[in-house]
Amino acid sequence: MTRHGRKPDESTLSVWQVVELARHPERPYSLDYIRRLAPDFIELHGDRLSADDPALVGGVGTWHGRTTMFLGHQKGRTLKERVERNWGMMHPEGYRKAIRLAHHAAKFHFPIVSMIDTPGAYPGAGAEERGIAAAIAAAIMEWFRIPVPIVAAVIGEGGSGGALGMGVADRVIMLENSIYSVASPEAAASIVWRDNTRKVEAAEQLQLTSRDLLAMGVVEEVVPEPKGSARIDYDVAASALDESLHRHMQALLTQPTEDLLQHRYERFRYIDSLIHAEPQFGPKI
Amino acid sequence: MALAKPAAELRIAGSKLPAIPLPTNCPGCGVGLDVESLRKHNYVCDCGHHFRLGADAWIALIADRGSWKERWGDVRSHDLLNWKVPKPYQEVVEQLLEDGLNEAVRTGTCTLAGRPIWLAAFDFRFVGGTLSIVAGERLARGMEQAASSGIPYVLISASGGARMQEGVLALMQLAKVNAALGRLHSAGVPYFSVLTDPTFGGTAASLALLGDINIAEPGAAIGFTGPRVIKQATYADLPPGFQSAEFQLAHGQVDLVLPRTELRHLLAHLLEMYP
Repeated sequence: MTRHGRKPDESTLSVWQVVELARHPERPYSLDYIRRLAPDFIELHGDRLSADDPALVGGVGTWHGRTTMFLGHQKGRTLKERVERNWGMMHPEGYRKAIRLAHHAAKFHFPIVSMIDTPGAYPGAGAEERGIAAAIAAAIMEWFRIPVPIVAAVIGEGGSGGALGMGVADRVIMLENSIYSVASPEAAASIVWRDNTRKVEAAEQLQLTSRDLLAMGVVEEVVPEPKGSARIDYDVAASALDESLHRHMQALLTQPTEDLLQHRYERFRYIDSLIHAEPQFGPKI
Repeated sequence: MALAKPAAELRIAGSKLPAIPLPTNCPGCGVGLDVESLRKHNYVCDCGHHFRLGADAWIALIADRGSWKERWGDVRSHDLLNWKVPKPYQEVVEQLLEDGLNEAVRTGTCTLAGRPIWLAAFDFRFVGGTLSIVAGERLARGMEQAASSGIPYVLISASGGARMQEGVLALMQLAKVNAALGRLHSAGVPYFSVLTDPTFGGTAASLALLGDINIAEPGAAIGFTGPRVIKQATYADLPPGFQSAEFQLAHGQVDLVLPRTELRHLLAHLLEMYP
């Protein structure tokens, strides 16, 4: 039972309704949360190689009395912003910037909070030309060596490799009405039926809700959203996210670095250890 | 030294490659195929077209004759998500096992020109060579053992990415494998990655492009997002040769584009240079 008096699993929404909430254009984005968690947030830019990726914001802010590195996929609110932010779809430069800022955080022993909200990495020719696959791969490998605590939160869409490239952490939590999936429902429908309009069926098959992910052991906690979802009350949503992030971070801050990295390794190395827990899975509908 | 040479040549020989289904004419040049001659040339046509090989053929090609020791071949996939579309996943997997395939990745130890290696080979015939929990487990275990024993790791990739039918747990294999790969690199153990046609998605975005040396086969398609999806998403006209091995060489993603007929000798030489 949460302090909002409601269990996340009491949700009566269909899977597709959750997908729509996760993608809702009025849903709070990373900067909406970061500015509430750390009002003195200073955004830092660039990968120091060639560019700055506006689909990923990063920077430092004071959070519960401690300088913290915040990273997050950022979507735009207006059409102009959406284009600028590329709908939260990162290019290779974004992953390189994230790792640069992670090393920056490590230098100063700042803990890292990462917010995930992306349909996926950008599926365009330019991203391919500049090595998107290798950029994600290198980021995923590098996160395991970053010697400071990392807590990641899926706040909206956790889309495939583009999300996981920002999702290697010591703890991963999910907002109640967010999703995390190997492929978008549209992509899955396109693969299965060569017809991306059958996205609703695909979403039901994919098991991508926060409840599914908690049952599979892929995330540690589901953070409840205010009634009607996070878009109804940004402050309440941010406060619940803050409480959970902080609680997880507190537990990590006391761990010796060696233990932290070993546990991070084991967290992902044995993430499918519930493989024999089949009864927990299966369609809910 | 006169006697040493034949012994060295014997040690450097792989096995005869298995027969594979082939078209009557080469898709590269249109010429009618001489199956036996093609088989002796590692299924590379005179025109340079490289036919796709399964894991069994790769093992025969890379491993010194009689040296292959398969590991964890009995680890099996489960249908965790009760996946039913378009066919039940469990049935698909069981049929493939019945056909004699053993998951999308096979791994084990062998020697190459007398030197011990860990070898992992993707098999595109098994659900498109997709990275599954079993595939990830075999890769990660092999990398951990290679890291602790100091034995070089050789990967042959051919994969569509993460296996959709295993949901987000398949996605998590990218992190699982790259965690182990980080340990392999930290241990200073050589990792040679051979990218074959096709290598995409989660496999490209995890272990395949992180070799100490990335070697691509000529003409192999390599990338993150497939061309069909890129065209759908961006309405872009993609130039000829987009995402080919040669394109990836020009864009700094691979070290070498090398014909399959030269691969074994190159690997043998690299193993000498990276002891």
